[in-house]
Amino acid sequence: MKFAKFGAVGALVFGLATAAAAEYPERPVNMIIPFGAGGATDISARTIAEPLGKVVGKPLIMANVTGAGGATGSVAAMNAKPDGYTMLFTRVGSHSVNPAMKATLPYTLDDFRYVTVYEINPFACAVAADSDINSMDDLVARAREGGVSFSSSGVGSGLHLGGVMVMDAFGVEDPLNQVTHIPMDGGGAAATAVLAGTATFLCTNSSALASFVSNGQLKPLMVTTSEPVVGFDAPTAADLGKPELEQLVGWTGIAGPKDLPDEVAAKWGEWMQAAAGDEEFVSRMEAVGSIIDVMSPEEANDFIRTQYNTFKDLVDRLGMRIEG
Amino acid sequence: MSFLDSIAAGLSLVGNFEAFAALFVGVLIGTIAGAIPGMSATMAVALTLPFTFAMEAVPAILLLLGVYKGGIFGGCIPAILIKTPGTPASSATVLDGYPMAEKGQAGKALGMALWASCTADLISNLSLILFAGWLASFALNFGPPEFFTLILFSLTIIAGVSGNSLLKGALSAMLGLLLATVGLDLVYGTNRLTFGDPNLMGGLNFIAVLIGLFAMPEVMSMVWDPKPHEGKARGLGSDSVTFGEYKRCFRTIVRGSFIGVFLGSIPGIGAAPAAFLSYSEARRKSPNKANFGKGEVEGVAASEAGNNGVAGATLIPLLALGVPGDVITAIIIGAFMIHGLQPGPMMFVLNKDLIYGLFIGLIVSSFFLFFIGSLAIRLFKYVADIPRGVLFPGVLVLCIYGVFAVNNNIFDVGVMFVMGWVGYVMLRNDIPAAPFLIAFILGPLLENNFRQAMLMSGNSPEILFRGPITWFFWFLTLLTVAAIIRAGIRATRSMRSKPGAG
Repeated sequence: MKFAKFGAVGALVFGLATAAAAEYPERPVNMIIPFGAGGATDISARTIAEPLGKVVGKPLIMANVTGAGGATGSVAAMNAKPDGYTMLFTRVGSHSVNPAMKATLPYTLDDFRYVTVYEINPFACAVAADSDINSMDDLVARAREGGVSFSSSGVGSGLHLGGVMVMDAFGVEDPLNQVTHIPMDGGGAAATAVLAGTATFLCTNSSALASFVSNGQLKPLMVTTSEPVVGFDAPTAADLGKPELEQLVGWTGIAGPKDLPDEVAAKWGEWMQAAAGDEEFVSRMEAVGSIIDVMSPEEANDFIRTQYNTFKDLVDRLGMRIEG
Repeated sequence: MSFLDSIAAGLSLVGNFEAFAALFVGVLIGTIAGAIPGMSATMAVALTLPFTFAMEAVPAILLLLGVYKGGIFGGCIPAILIKTPGTPASSATVLDGYPMAEKGQAGKALGMALWASCTADLISNLSLILFAGWLASFALNFGPPEFFTLILFSLTIIAGVSGNSLLKGALSAMLGLLLATVGLDLVYGTNRLTFGDPNLMGGLNFIAVLIGLFAMPEVMSMVWDPKPHEGKARGLGSDSVTFGEYKRCFRTIVRGSFIGVFLGSIPGIGAAPAAFLSYSEARRKSPNKANFGKGEVEGVAASEAGNNGVAGATLIPLLALGVPGDVITAIIIGAFMIHGLQPGPMMFVLNKDLIYGLFIGLIVSSFFLFFIGSLAIRLFKYVADIPRGVLFPGVLVLCIYGVFAVNNNIFDVGVMFVMGWVGYVMLRNDIPAAPFLIAFILGPLLENNFRQAMLMSGNSPEILFRGPITWFFWFLTLLTVAAIIRAGIRATRSMRSKPGAG
């Protein structure tokens, strides 16, 4: 009902735009969220769904299809008819880290057509507040001695690759053996592990760390964006002379199956430009520490592939590829 | 700000119609959603979340908390009436609730579930208000080694729910452990037992397994042999619980509530293990031990007290540490963030009025739960009156729809039917399903925490004995195992001493 109302309002406001496109969309669009309710992707997807539904003019049906680090939902979208009525929310974990790391993943980047990336989450590295590690230099020195561990939300997650990538960039040799990776069950558990002393540090979206940092429970050491992140009293990667770490950011986007027609992709590009301008959407996403930056289909494709290639190089160089 | 000032400030936040209306609506939505098989409390909270974006912070959070509490309670209704836990947390309620319904005591079982739930809810909320700080710092002492020993101890529950034959219980548990290994390996990220099917990469869906194991076999036995069921309705039996029964179960309810509070305050365990642990403790201590699993009202009380005891306590790590204890609180934390609030120690300083407002709301929610719960029971218990020939096809439809809705995946419906056959074979051979379920829930936790502990220590097993918490659980485990062995020996002896037996 609610969506139908939005649809009606949308059709009025954007009547001209929809009239011009005549055919697509003529019925509701299925939107697959490949991660669980309450996660970063889910919140992001459901927040954009509100303004996006108005612009699209047809209801968006949001469905969480979870499992295997986003693979289950991604496969469902890959196998759907490329008619634009089944779209997928893509995320750094499922569409750049996992494809770079896992050899037996049932999909590759080429199985999708990316129509936008609309949200960037800066990454930050942090340790427990009572730790005697106060800077990246301290952390790296400690890592060289051994006995340093980092937590992640699972193998093949952004947190997993991020921890290794940061250690590698700061010149820790053989980071896979020098630093212990402790995979936890989800991002919340990963932060808790650092809080409880199970792991030494973690690198994850600043949004996942924001409340811990402002509560004085975790101490940020570095953020990966070129601009400092509000609330994080920590240098940027570029300040520390590692601008290559700027590739290490989280993002959320939308994709369809690979044979998605050009006009449908173009339509989504327009819709996203209009929807992401919604003030409420922007303020909500900024409240959780995200940067709203809508990319066109071409830009999104370049962005995802550049990040994938950076990750793939690292994975190949260090032998992190998961073959089984 | 003094304590009274804080309460006054809190009251000014919740002391309006909107906040109480949100809470009431939340409990109502939750109870209904929880009562629909497959529509778990988690899903209900997730679906409500987007509607709270436009609301004020306090009503928004109270709405979600109401849905959560209602959902955990509502799950007991189908568990008792149609042997299908509405939410995983009420799986333990099936063990005695359904036999009671079979005996025509559905009304009594539901009534006891409600009383136990509300008592536990109140105890849980009070614990949150009084001991949040203390329990939260205790919870942070739980690393993988402590979890491992706690879960190892919890696995001894299997002996308590195995029924007559420990061997059959162990067999059932092994099967559960085996199926729980399907999916991605935690440490290496490799595929395990997926046979190249992407649908299996995420593991077997818990709800699909649950419904397949409990509800499907009932439907199948009726299809197999419809004669004894023809035109048969069970009737409601005695309507309500007597005060005497409540008094008799009171110790069990309080014990279950504290087990729930304790497990709920530790992030990452959840309500289902709490319900099972409470159930097995109640059985161990009860004078009616032999009647457990055959329709003992105390069993229903124990299970419902255990899972509702968790509901308030999961807010302890959420509010005091900013850490979500389970999937539901992870969603609720999202609601906090959307409203620009950051749960954690600072919130007790910066947003003290909000914290106290939530506390007041929570206390009120226990009473709302009681009121709405009584209404729901009054309506739903007539389900027990429906002849099975009419009821079971409806159950089947609900199950299929519910399992599909969990993950919008038709594969899960297939899993449910396969598990239904497994459950049916188990039922025909008197192999209890509960050990399977416990192993299926606890197995991955046991394995993951063991391997995380080994990663932490560089493969040295010493870490599993690293502190008083681990010693405590090792001690409990040894004690319980010794008791099980002794009981086993005694049973064998008494069998031998009987002439003609053995």
